[in-house]
Amino acid sequence: MIDRQIPQDRLDLVWTLSYGLLLLFLLRLINLQVLNTAHYREIAEKNRTQIIAQSAPRGRIFSSDETAIATSKPSFSLIYFPGQLKAGVETDRMAMAISRQLGADYESIKGSISRAALREKPVRLAENLPPKAMLKLSELKAIYPGIDIIVEARRYYPFGAYLSHLVGYIGKMDTKEWASRSMDKNYSMDSRTGKAGLEKMYERELKGKDGGIFLEVDSRGRLNRVLESRKWAPGSDIFLTIDSKAQAAAEEGLEKSLTGKGAVVALDPRTGAVLAFVSMPDYDPNQFVLSGSEKDKISSGKTLPEFNVALQGSYPPGSIFKIITGAAILESGRLKPEETFFCPGYYDAGSRVFKCWEKKGHNKVDFITGLTKSCDVYFYNAGQRAGALTIEKYSRAFRLGQPSGIALPEEKGGNVFGPGPRAAKKSYWFIGDTLNLSIGQGETLMTPMQAVGMIAAVANGGLFHRPYYVDRIVRNDGQVTLKSKPEILSRAELKETTWTLIRDGLHNVVFEGTGQMAKITGAEMFGKTGTAQNPQGKDHAWFVAYATVNGQPSRVAVAVLVEHGLHGASAAAPIAKAVIEAVLREDLAVKKPELPFVGPPAEAPAVKPGARV
Amino acid sequence: MIFTPQGGLKKNRMDWVLFFAVLVLLAIGTAAVFSSVTALPQQARIIRVQFMAIPIGLAVFAAAWSLNYQIYQDQWKFVYGFLLLFLAGVLLFGVVDKGARSWYRLPIFSVQPSEFARVGLILVLANFLDKRIGKIRELKTVLGAFALCLPVFFLLIKQPDFSAILINFPIVLLMLFAAGASLFHLSIILGYAFISALFPILWTIIVLNPELMDSSLISYFFHLSDSPWSALFFVAGMSVVAWLFWQLSVRLYANVSGVYFAGAALVLILGFFSGVVVKSQMKEYQQKRLEVFLSPESDPRGAGYNLLQARIAIGSGGIFGRGVFSGTQSRLGFVPERHTDFILAVVGEEMGFWGMLLVALMYAVLMRRVMQCARLARDRFGYLVNCGIFGMFLVYFGINFGMILGFSPVAGVPLPLLSYGGSNLVATLMALGIVESIYARRYALV
Repeated sequence: MIDRQIPQDRLDLVWTLSYGLLLLFLLRLINLQVLNTAHYREIAEKNRTQIIAQSAPRGRIFSSDETAIATSKPSFSLIYFPGQLKAGVETDRMAMAISRQLGADYESIKGSISRAALREKPVRLAENLPPKAMLKLSELKAIYPGIDIIVEARRYYPFGAYLSHLVGYIGKMDTKEWASRSMDKNYSMDSRTGKAGLEKMYERELKGKDGGIFLEVDSRGRLNRVLESRKWAPGSDIFLTIDSKAQAAAEEGLEKSLTGKGAVVALDPRTGAVLAFVSMPDYDPNQFVLSGSEKDKISSGKTLPEFNVALQGSYPPGSIFKIITGAAILESGRLKPEETFFCPGYYDAGSRVFKCWEKKGHNKVDFITGLTKSCDVYFYNAGQRAGALTIEKYSRAFRLGQPSGIALPEEKGGNVFGPGPRAAKKSYWFIGDTLNLSIGQGETLMTPMQAVGMIAAVANGGLFHRPYYVDRIVRNDGQVTLKSKPEILSRAELKETTWTLIRDGLHNVVFEGTGQMAKITGAEMFGKTGTAQNPQGKDHAWFVAYATVNGQPSRVAVAVLVEHGLHGASAAAPIAKAVIEAVLREDLAVKKPELPFVGPPAEAPAVKPGARV
Repeated sequence: MIFTPQGGLKKNRMDWVLFFAVLVLLAIGTAAVFSSVTALPQQARIIRVQFMAIPIGLAVFAAAWSLNYQIYQDQWKFVYGFLLLFLAGVLLFGVVDKGARSWYRLPIFSVQPSEFARVGLILVLANFLDKRIGKIRELKTVLGAFALCLPVFFLLIKQPDFSAILINFPIVLLMLFAAGASLFHLSIILGYAFISALFPILWTIIVLNPELMDSSLISYFFHLSDSPWSALFFVAGMSVVAWLFWQLSVRLYANVSGVYFAGAALVLILGFFSGVVVKSQMKEYQQKRLEVFLSPESDPRGAGYNLLQARIAIGSGGIFGRGVFSGTQSRLGFVPERHTDFILAVVGEEMGFWGMLLVALMYAVLMRRVMQCARLARDRFGYLVNCGIFGMFLVYFGINFGMILGFSPVAGVPLPLLSYGGSNLVATLMALGIVESIYARRYALV
C-alpha cells in the first residue's frame, strides 16, 4: 500500500520488537529445556512416583560350623493405597473387616486409613502377619481394591538369646540416627538398623540394598499404575569364629550355674579367634525387631541387660592371678622353684596376720605345690621375695590395664595394682599391699576377656593376639570381602623354664589340685581356679584353663566367671570343662566315663583385706 | 476480479505460507489437546468440540476469505451494533461458568461472544482511524478511538472478562501507533496505564517484604490510599512539584511548553487514582497471581503451584520431549488448565525444545505474513485491520510464552490455534480469513 499519510516505518519498529521478544523466549527455552533438563526431570519423576520400600534381607550371621545365628525370614505386611477408595463408609467397612481378621483395634486401623487418605501416601496397616491371616486377607484384597499384601524380609534370631551380646540386635532408628542417615538413599524413615554388637559394627556390610515398589501417582496422589518392582539385594553374610557347640555348652553351663550371671570366653590360643562368648544376663534380640512399641514396653519395665560382663565387668582375679605372680617369682631369679616355705595356715606380717585359705595349712610348699594347692602362704612369701614391682611389671606384660582390642565397643581394661600406680596417686605402699597383690586381691581388676588372654598366653608361650570373632564376610555373589588374619599385639617374654614350670603347676591343679572337676580324659588340661573376694556380696568364682591333645599346640583356652559363684572349683570349672570338651569333641570322640569327684571342693575364702586375725 | 498483467504474472489469491503455518499449529495443538485430556472426565466432550470447531473454523475462514473485506467498512454501523448487542445479550441470556457470565449455551456447543467481539472491535476501530486519518495527530482522535472502545470494555467488565480487556487494550494502542497517532498522546496513555499498574505492583511488593515498612517514606507511600486527606496531599504535592519543574525550565530558558509538565502531573495523578481503583477492584486470586509472579516460590502449594508445575513440565521435556501421550506432568494432572491456558506446557513436555521452537517459529511466520499482508493491502482500512490482527497475535504470543517462561504474571489467556476452545479457534480463523481476503484483493503489482 502506498499511502503517504501512514508512517510505515512504525511497523518495522513493531516487528523488530517482536523479533527481540522471540529471541528472549528462545534463550529462556534453551535455559529451561536444554541446560536444565536433568534438574526438572528429576522433580517431575519425584512428582509422579511413590515408593513402598521393601527392606532387603540383612546378611546372615553364621558360626564357624555354619549354624545360622541370625537370619531373615519372609514377613508379610498389609498395605493400604489411598485414592482408589475414598475415605468414608467404604473404608470404614474395610477397616472393620481387617480388624476382625487381624484381631486388631478397629479405631486404630480406621485412624491410619484416614490419615493415609489425608496425606495421600500409602501406609502399612499391619506388619509381620501370620501365614494364617494371609488367606483371609487375600480374600479381602479382592473386595477392597485399596489394600495389598507385600512380602519383606524380617530379621530373625533362631536361637533367641544365644550369643546375644556379640550379635547385638536391630531396631528402629531414633531421630538423631535418622538425621545422620537421611541422606543415604538406602535408608528410609522406618528402616531398621543395628543397635548393638555385630549388627551395629557391621551395619554397612549386613544391610543389603532395599528393593521397592515404584508407583505412579497422579497429582492427587491416586495410584495410576505400578512402574517397577525392584528386587532387593541381600546383605553380606558374616561367618564367625564362634564354635556353635562350645557356645551352646558355655550358655547352658552358665545358665545352670549358681547365680546364672557371669561370663565365659573361649579363644583359640594359636590365633586369638573367639570360640565362645557368653555374657549373662542376656536378652532375646528378636523382641526388638518386631515393633517399636514392644521395645518401649521393655525399656520402661526394666533396664536392658546390655551390660557386657565379658568385656565391661571388672573383677578382682583372685587366685587366677597367681599365674602372673608365679611368672614374676620365677623370672625375678630371687628364689629357686624348689625352695620351700612352711605353711601353718596363716602368715604373720608383723602388724597383721594373713590367712591361707586352708586353715590346716599346707606344710612345706614349693612352687609347683603352691600353684597346685593354690597355697596363699607360699605366694605371700615368694611374692615378697620377688617384689611388688616385679609383679606389677609382669601383670603389665600379661596386658592388665589395657583392653584386649577386640572389635566391640566400650571394652574395659581392668586395673593394674602395684607400687607404680600407688606412687602416681601420691600415696604409700605397704607390706600388706604386696601380700594382697601376690594372691590377686587388693585393687587388681580383670575382665573375663583379659583372663582368657592371660591363659591363652600361657598356652602359646606368651603371645597376645587381638581377639577376633569375624572369620570372613561373604558378599551375596559369593565373593569374600573380608578374611580375618591373626594379629599379634604383644608378647610376654618369659624364659622357657618359667613356662614349663607354670604349665606343670597348672596341669597339677587339674590333675590333683583345686581344679579336679575340670578333668578331661583324653586331653591334657591346664587350669587355675580363683575365688575373688567381693566386699559387696558373695565371692566370685573364676576358672581359667586350656587343653592340649597328644602334645599338639593347644586349640582352646577358656575363662569362666560366675558372679557370686562362691567357689571357682565347683561353680566355674565344670563350665570350662564342658566348653573345652565341645571344642575338642572330634579329638575326644572316644569318650571315657568321668572320674568321680574327690577331694576338697575349692579354696576357702582366704583374706578379707584389712581384717585382723 | 483478477488482474493479469502483460508479463503473464498471475496474482496469487491465497497466501499459502500463512495457511501452511496455520495448519501446522492446528496439528500440534490438536495432538497436545488430545494428549492432555486423556485423563480428564470431560475428555469425550472436549474431543468432540475440537473436531467440530476445526471444520467450522475452516469454513468461516473460507467464507471470510471469499467475502470482500471492504463490506465491513461500508457496514461498520451494523458490525458495531451487532458486536454490542452480542455482548449485551450474553449478560441477559448467558450462562455462568467459572464465575463469569460469558457464554451462550447452544444445543450442541457454547459460544463465547468476547472472542468474536475482539475481531469486530478491530474492524470498527480500523474504519474509525481510516476516516480520521487526516486528524490522527489530534488528541481528539485518540480519545475518540477510546470512546469507541469504552462500551465494549464496559460490557466485558460486566461479565467480568478481564483477560479480554488485557488483550484488547494493547491492540487498540498498536492500531493507533500504526495509524500514526502522536507519540506524545500515546506515551500519555501508556504512562497512565503504566502508573495505574505500577502502584498496585509496588504496594504488593511492600506487602511481600514487610521489612521495607521500616522506612517511614515507604510506610507513608503504602498508606497513601487510606484516607482522602493523604490522597489530596499527594495530588497537591505532585502539582507543586510539576510547577516547580516548569519554573526551573523557564529559568533555564529551556523553552519547554508548560503543557508537558501539566500533562506529566495529570498522568501521575490520574494513574494514582486508577491504581487505587484497580487495587480495590482486584479479586483475591488476581492479587495472589500478582504476588506469585513477583515471588514465585512464596506459595509453592497454592497459587504458585500452577506456574511451578508448568515450568517443571517444560524443563523435563528436554530437547526431544518425552513423546506425545507420554508426558507425566501434564497427563497426571500436575499442570492445571493444561488443554487451554497451559497448552504450551504440554507441548514443551511431550515435544521438547524442538516442539516449542516449531510453535514459536510458526507463530513468527504467521505474524510476519500478516504484517506483509498489511503492506500489500489495497487500502488503508485493510492495512489497519491487518495491523490490529497482527497485534492480536503478538499479544497472545507474548502473554502465553511470557507467562509459561516466567516473564509475565499468570493470566487466563489461551494460545490461539493451539489451545482447546471452540469460540477462540473459530474467531481466530475468521480473523485470518479476513487477512487472506485482504491479501487476495491487494494491489496486483506489488
